[in-house]
Amino acid sequence: MVLIFGGAYQGKKDFVLAEFGLKKDDICVCSPESAPDLTKKCLASMENFVWYCLNQGVDEMNYFRCNSALLEDKIFIFRDIFCGVVPMSKEERAWREATGRAMQYLAGKADRVSRIFCGLEQRLK
Amino acid sequence: MKILIAGGSKSGKSDYAQTMALQLAGPGRRFYVATMIPFDGEDQARIASHRARRAGLGFETVEEPRHLLRCLENGPGAYLIDSVTALLTNALFPQEEDYRFCPKEGERCLSELLAFARRAEDGVFVMDFIFSDSGLYPPETEYFRRLLGTAGQRLAALCDTVLEASAGQIFIHKGALPK
Repeated sequence: MVLIFGGAYQGKKDFVLAEFGLKKDDICVCSPESAPDLTKKCLASMENFVWYCLNQGVDEMNYFRCNSALLEDKIFIFRDIFCGVVPMSKEERAWREATGRAMQYLAGKADRVSRIFCGLEQRLK
Repeated sequence: MKILIAGGSKSGKSDYAQTMALQLAGPGRRFYVATMIPFDGEDQARIASHRARRAGLGFETVEEPRHLLRCLENGPGAYLIDSVTALLTNALFPQEEDYRFCPKEGERCLSELLAFARRAEDGVFVMDFIFSDSGLYPPETEYFRRLLGTAGQRLAALCDTVLEASAGQIFIHKGALPK
């Protein structure tokens, strides 16, 4: 399992395409409206997956545990949404917290964790 | 040698960039490319403080808020671009258009910035890092963030050294510091 995170517009998906030799079609960009396609190698915009879980009343941690066999070889991409001021709306606060917890959980499981800064990898694990 | 330095507000990136520009210049000329178009007293004060911090260091100030290639008419030397953020803001929301959103001018300015980065021999580019919050912004602001993010990625690929500043400290993402 690989976890990639970084700020907006830092080239996270391009990095994954080049580093792991993937095609665009190998990436599922998660949507807040629908369940992710777990057949894809890479799940990007995982912060949207967390929105999806909040909207559907799904416990994302439980989701990870139930699908652990399917997820163990995945590459996850999260946008770093954690360094700004606390959001005004209750929903956004819940989203930010849940996304942070989800990212920490998956980073714990991952063999490799990297932050992407201006398209460059900073390896953390 | 070309260097990109990015960081949050008051991370020490300007001071550090200044030191590196001096190192790159050696005994040669050093140009401070002033990009900010002051909007109010707060901006004037920021300009005065930047000016005071580089006083006596031998920088020649070049006022160029949008057309970076024009700077090269000054000839060889180390160019300090402070900042890429102000440059792209000036282009995307031009003063003469009453600060209306002009994506075409923004894209043009980015192309010119990259052409400058390819042509200049020695340069230090200062950029604000504004990409790690959860804010949901209006489309024009999001466009600006994408433009600046793209500039960061493209400059990082072009530069020999890429640095991140926080609390006055430096993390090296690519290359090495100038000798």
